[in-house]
Amino acid sequence: MEIALIGNPNTGKTSLFNNLTGSYEYVGNWSGVTVEKKVGVFKNNIGQLIDLPGVYTLNPLSKDEGVVTSFFLTESVDRLLNILDASQLERNLHLTLQLLEFEKPALIGLNMIDVANKRGIHVDAPKLAKVLGVPVMPVVARSGQGCDKLVDVISTKSIQPANKHLVYYGKEVEEAITAITGEISRKTSHSIRFLAIQYFEGNQYVQNYVNSISNPQRINDIVRNLENKLQARLAGKSLSNFIYLKRKEVIEKIVAEVARKSDSVIPLSEKIDSIISNRFLGMPIFLLLMYFMFMLTFDWLGTPLSNVLDALLTGPVTSGFEAVLSTIHASNFIHDLIIEGLVAGVGGVLVFVPQIFILFFFISLLEDSGYMARVALVMDRIMESVGLNGKAFIPMMIGFGCNVPGIMAARTIETPRERLLTILLTPLMSCSARLPVYALFVGAFFAGHKAFIVLSLYVLGIVVALTLAKVFSKTLLKSETSLFVIELPPYRLPQFQSLWRSTWDKGKGFVRKAGTFIFAGSVFIWLLSYAGPNGLKVDMDHSYLAAVGNIIAPIFDPIGFGTWQASASLITGFLAKEAIISTMNIIYFVPNDASLQGLLANYYTPLAAYSFMVFILLYIPCLATTATIYKETGSKKWTAFSMIYAFVIAYVLSLVIYQGGKLFGLM
Amino acid sequence: MFGSLKTGDKGKIIDLSHVGHLVQRRLLDLGITEGSEVCVKCVMPFGGPVMIESCGQCVGIRRKEAVQIEVERI
Repeated sequence: MEIALIGNPNTGKTSLFNNLTGSYEYVGNWSGVTVEKKVGVFKNNIGQLIDLPGVYTLNPLSKDEGVVTSFFLTESVDRLLNILDASQLERNLHLTLQLLEFEKPALIGLNMIDVANKRGIHVDAPKLAKVLGVPVMPVVARSGQGCDKLVDVISTKSIQPANKHLVYYGKEVEEAITAITGEISRKTSHSIRFLAIQYFEGNQYVQNYVNSISNPQRINDIVRNLENKLQARLAGKSLSNFIYLKRKEVIEKIVAEVARKSDSVIPLSEKIDSIISNRFLGMPIFLLLMYFMFMLTFDWLGTPLSNVLDALLTGPVTSGFEAVLSTIHASNFIHDLIIEGLVAGVGGVLVFVPQIFILFFFISLLEDSGYMARVALVMDRIMESVGLNGKAFIPMMIGFGCNVPGIMAARTIETPRERLLTILLTPLMSCSARLPVYALFVGAFFAGHKAFIVLSLYVLGIVVALTLAKVFSKTLLKSETSLFVIELPPYRLPQFQSLWRSTWDKGKGFVRKAGTFIFAGSVFIWLLSYAGPNGLKVDMDHSYLAAVGNIIAPIFDPIGFGTWQASASLITGFLAKEAIISTMNIIYFVPNDASLQGLLANYYTPLAAYSFMVFILLYIPCLATTATIYKETGSKKWTAFSMIYAFVIAYVLSLVIYQGGKLFGLM
Repeated sequence: MFGSLKTGDKGKIIDLSHVGHLVQRRLLDLGITEGSEVCVKCVMPFGGPVMIESCGQCVGIRRKEAVQIEVERI
């Protein structure tokens, strides 16, 4: 049995999904965190639960919302599970009424009764069930309360909606529905009433579908005819507005019947808001929070933990491998492959796991608490001035973790121009895979100001992105349309368990990549460095790797790092940014006590090191990001553009920093 | 007019039709339409967006769109 989970954004849909399926999926508290269709298996194996992005209506504005509508039109589903926010019943019921028109077996999970009660709203669930003609189960998705009962009802009861026509749209509309029925009945398995009403509302997806199975001209005539008949009553408004108001009337009646309001208390959320979204404090609080996040990641907590892990890997783990290798009398080749290739390459990346998890923890915290949407609000003025809107800042923040989900999150941006711009610029956000490179270099060259130097790189990424947004929107992507309406969900105290799961969900990708991609890459890089034109076990300067690096090294001479080692690691960095670190660990392999950080001082000046970090920050989106850009834009041209402009910008900026720095006598 | 509302002021929407089509649609999705009561929660500096509350939920919209909404003070 396939069950689709659908509801408004910020109704606790993803929490309910987690509770019902046992498997974890991403929890978010800003509109539209769920960007892909997600499937989970019910705890008691009654079937599959499909998590759809949150929508207010089935008539989509953004691409994200379009996912839901096309799901309804193209895929078969056995049951609908509609989650409602009891504290926002009126708004939520608009979607419910549309879902019931779809005439599939449906069931309602009435969530956030606790929040509603606190606001003085009491919803009578059995009464609501009677009015709507479908089962209504009260649940608290965050704690899982009521979920068992919900599952029982889904799996046992027959839940075909009882009241077929909840909304009577008036004589004229109903007649037009009958006329459309005449045109398309027996040509589709979907509810014709649903298709007709969505068509009247101007739902592009449904219109395309209906036109594909019928004579578009005749359907169009029916709609024009309907509009003419209603002309007097529409009074200059659209047909979709007319339908909206009809639904609203019914909803007001339902709510009056099932909900009771008593004196409400001011929720804590609004008190917090008066500080966080304060006129003047908003921005400083945001910057302070970011600074705190970086200090914790790089100075206070992350680095000490990484050092412990590093000591463990270079000490006991390496000697453990040595011992095993010598007992099995491994050949020199195998010995070198494992110690100099794998332990150095994979271990060099794994060392940064603590820092990356701390960073992901913070991003999860920002998402789950509801702060993200406030950041979008605070940032909108700046974003608007460069031709974007505040919502674009959310994909960029997510991009700090990993650019791939960041680019996908851009789907929630309604206007195509702003969405494309956000997709193109999100790769400039310094993702967690670039972090090991910074961590290594700041440790070697800027030990006293670690967090400050790294923060400067993150800020540089943002500044470059905003500047380019301005340039692109003035030249390549000119258009006036911009839309910024954002729902600000109430603050929710994140639960530790869900935070940890969310952090793990994001961080495990990094660990997995270390075990697969970086593992294979390390073997390959090591082989290239081990073999050369003159045979095996050559001096590394005469290896194939050096030969490849030497070809492009002169390009990087003007920006401070024209060595074959830097060039070779930049090439591997296209595959995955953390591969830069594993490559360096292999190339500058240092046995025994000396560390890579100490050795680097022989190859880079502090100025060249900073130039190198800036170059890494900007130079090219990694392979996975490039693939995602292609998938999301569907355009080879824009994908190529995103790679080329990034390289040019990186080169120019590094050149300015390195040559400018030298002029000012910096080293 | 909306422009005359200050932080903490309440008003009732009487006309949304001057607001951009997309913004109108979105506000409708959020249940904000003619007849809704709104309260200005916060106004961002330098011409930034405003945060309004309606039926217990907070929504952020740009000021240039907000001033197109006709409201009567209550």
